[in-house]
Amino acid sequence: MAAAAAASIRERQTVALKRMLNFNVPHVKNSTGEPVWKVLIYDRFGQDIISPLLSVKELRDMGITLHLLLHSDRDPIPDVPAVYFVMPTEENIDRMCQDLRNQLYESYYLNFISAISRSKLEDIANAALAASAVTQVAKVFDQYLNFITLEDDMFVLCNQNKELVSYRAINRPDITDTEMETVMDTIVDSLFCFFVTLGAVPIIRCSRGTAAEMVAVKLDKKLRENLRDARNSLFTGDTLGAGQFSFQRPLLVLVDRNIDLATPLHHTWTYQALVHDVLDFHLNRVNLEESSGVENSPAGARPKRKNKKSYDLTPVDKFWQKHKGSPFPEVAESVQQELESYRAQEDEVKRLKSIMGLEGEDEGAISMLSDNTAKLTSAVSSLPELLEKKRLIDLHTNVATAVLEHIKARKLDVYFEYEEKIMSKTTLDKSLLDIISDPDAGTPEDKMRLFLIYYISAQQAPSEADLEQYKKALTDAGCNLNPLQYIKQWKAFAKMASAPASYGNTTTKPMGLLSRVMNTGSQFVMEGVKNLVLKQQNLPVTRILDNLMEMKSNPETDDYRYFDPKMLRGNDSSVPRNKNPFQEAIVFVVGGGNYIEYQNLVDYIKGKQGKHILYGCSELFNATQFIKQVKCTLLVS
Amino acid sequence: MAVDITLLFRASVKTVKTRNKALGVAVGGGVDGSRDELFRRSPRPKGDFSSRAREVISHIGKLRDFLLEHRKDYINAYSYVMSEYGRMTDTERDQIDQDAQTFMRTCSEAIQQLRTQGVCKLYSEQRAIRVKRVVDKKRLSKLEPEPSTKTRESTSSEKVSRNPSEDSEEKPVTEEHPEKVPAESQPELGTWGDGKGDDELSPEEIQMFEQENQRLIGEMNSLFDEVRQIEGRVVEISRLQEIFTEKVLQQEAEIDSIHQLVVGATENIKEGNEDIREVSTLGPPGPPQCGTESRQQRSSCWQGGTSALLWPSPQGSPPDGAGQSHFDPRQTPDPRCYQEP
Repeated sequence: MAAAAAASIRERQTVALKRMLNFNVPHVKNSTGEPVWKVLIYDRFGQDIISPLLSVKELRDMGITLHLLLHSDRDPIPDVPAVYFVMPTEENIDRMCQDLRNQLYESYYLNFISAISRSKLEDIANAALAASAVTQVAKVFDQYLNFITLEDDMFVLCNQNKELVSYRAINRPDITDTEMETVMDTIVDSLFCFFVTLGAVPIIRCSRGTAAEMVAVKLDKKLRENLRDARNSLFTGDTLGAGQFSFQRPLLVLVDRNIDLATPLHHTWTYQALVHDVLDFHLNRVNLEESSGVENSPAGARPKRKNKKSYDLTPVDKFWQKHKGSPFPEVAESVQQELESYRAQEDEVKRLKSIMGLEGEDEGAISMLSDNTAKLTSAVSSLPELLEKKRLIDLHTNVATAVLEHIKARKLDVYFEYEEKIMSKTTLDKSLLDIISDPDAGTPEDKMRLFLIYYISAQQAPSEADLEQYKKALTDAGCNLNPLQYIKQWKAFAKMASAPASYGNTTTKPMGLLSRVMNTGSQFVMEGVKNLVLKQQNLPVTRILDNLMEMKSNPETDDYRYFDPKMLRGNDSSVPRNKNPFQEAIVFVVGGGNYIEYQNLVDYIKGKQGKHILYGCSELFNATQFIKQVKCTLLVS
Repeated sequence: MAVDITLLFRASVKTVKTRNKALGVAVGGGVDGSRDELFRRSPRPKGDFSSRAREVISHIGKLRDFLLEHRKDYINAYSYVMSEYGRMTDTERDQIDQDAQTFMRTCSEAIQQLRTQGVCKLYSEQRAIRVKRVVDKKRLSKLEPEPSTKTRESTSSEKVSRNPSEDSEEKPVTEEHPEKVPAESQPELGTWGDGKGDDELSPEEIQMFEQENQRLIGEMNSLFDEVRQIEGRVVEISRLQEIFTEKVLQQEAEIDSIHQLVVGATENIKEGNEDIREVSTLGPPGPPQCGTESRQQRSSCWQGGTSALLWPSPQGSPPDGAGQSHFDPRQTPDPRCYQEP
């Protein structure tokens, strides 16, 4: 019973969006007749929220004929209702008032992504009065949807203004109190919206003395205030819906990015994390620059054209769902297998066509024949499926090829293996200096990452002489040394010499060269690329979660603060009241997270029956972006 | 979990309403407020055609009056406080432009509605007024960048705008007035210039200003001429358009009648053909009674057949050009189409 409720935040947000699009009347599927045609107006925030969840086709099914940005030039469409989905900022309100004055639409359904303040509401009222359009404003809603859901169990706070809540914003030395307050307020607002949508009041645990603690305090306060206000409480029984677990409450673990800086820098080996690390991937869309004409260009005569292609990696994509956490060679293999099974099915259909003597005709004509209908109907009905499969195979072939190119060019497998060894403190077979000075292996950034991981995980700092040597090697390779400065100071400041060092035991077993696995005709010729098998290891975040969820005693987590917004007395005690292990947990990383941690959590929870984890972070970055931020964030020396 | 704050919104609307009533309306807002009422009323003229037309005309007249009043106020204000005037006109001008534009838009919509009912004269007159007003506005806005001589131009332009709008119905008079205005404005400019010179300006500056005045007057004159020409052309164009629409309507009627005739003729010809055929197949006429009977029978059955031929299949729509149903993209496609093999 408890398992179903928090299962899919994606589903909940989608349902909320669909309800909003249906004029905030619960959406009944399979309702006959056509929907009311309407126009959807959104700002960039709304766009980011809607785009991973609803495709254009689904919008059309809900009756949206036109979807437009708020701040674009819009023509009046006088007899159509308009649904607005915007953030309640000054400029948005101004633009909406202007729309009201210009009488653009027949009726207005205003939905604010997070709660709107009373004064701004009065501004709109003023404009509506002036335009005598008060009756046209049919409904005004606070949607509490101020977060972006990327996966069934993963969410991010925002995409548009992520500089506001980035790692850099939170950790830069010259931040003022008021700025910090603003950042914290933004994060807390989004988390609050998240819990409203989830329909549960969590128990909050966080470490002391970090930004996460500030977030926890504020969030606790906000939840508490809302619960006390019995009239307007968002968490009353009737709004929570069926399946609400009344016995168990979820656990919210707030961690700060600073407890583990190695994971964002880590080279990775799972499909989704690789795509995020190596290609341009955000909001479930990957943008590839393809150089077409490679296979069929005659001896270098034709120049390579670069097309930009973008693909959406959605939950509908079964291959992606199955393999996004698999190690890359497995992915390559699976693509190959899928391709082969697809070809077999295609041959089957072609054979049927030739039997019927309809070689070369399109599939639509096949349905006209009456004999052998059973075979034909089955073949025909499986055709859309086949076409879809082909599309997915093409997609993943392209994506995996792009990833593979990067891997081969930068020797990412070598880096991955080496980093794993560093993080698990097994003996290193190759000296770090060798790798850094190797001109073939990796970009300067890769080398920087490797060195930083080494530096972070080292029990004691390397000696000055060694450090100088490394620095020289790095600068020779072309790296900027600013991140190193930052990490040094971070390490000194954090006093966390013990914690990040233990990444658990892991061994990576290279399975030799892989070329034999790839059959002829395959595009994944992974010669020279090691087939590394990941053994389960627990990243620091996972470990912390494990301790807290299972109520294990551990010096690392024992002094975590404990907040329960439902308790009458406000003060926290470090002694948790609840002694039972939690079934649901939400891990939120203040300062940024990435897919490696997400994957790690998913793997961890797979082993536990009946437990669910949601992973969220204030922003999602890959190593490149993280290094860029760190470069600019030097602590005051 | 969405929270319905519609009630909160309605409550804020009420508070805003009461607050506005308590505070009253601001100075500039007064004019705009009443003009807003005008705008609210004008976009959706109801009732029959003539009352609508009259309403629109009265609105235009009211707008003109308000504009004039505005100018008067500002002129009065100027003679005491210069800086205040400068500030006000900027914002006011923008507001006025905006409002006037929306008003023009709504008026043109109303006029378009009126147009379809076939009274082209009034339409052409309104258009002429509107065009003149637009031209005036453009002229006014062109005069913005020279603050020191702003007032003088505004007085002269005010007179210009006043005159064409007052005599909108009588075009020849309109054309005369702009001629008088430059003459009037010149002595006025002279007095303005002298009045100003006493306080602040040195004699050289007075001379400079006067030269500038002369130049400006010359420019204004040329502008007036151009405007007059444009006015005349526009009026001609509107008249031609009116003639054009009349002709088109006449032709439409004629074409309809021709069409009817042709349909009748086709029918007659068909019947004639059938009769001829019948006569030729019958051969020499038999006993008169039987022959006529059989002929009548056959002609009647032929007629039935003819009408069947004329209206062959339900899919061919009767030739009625005017009665086409409006294409609605949401209509489900005709299920009969699918039945054909």
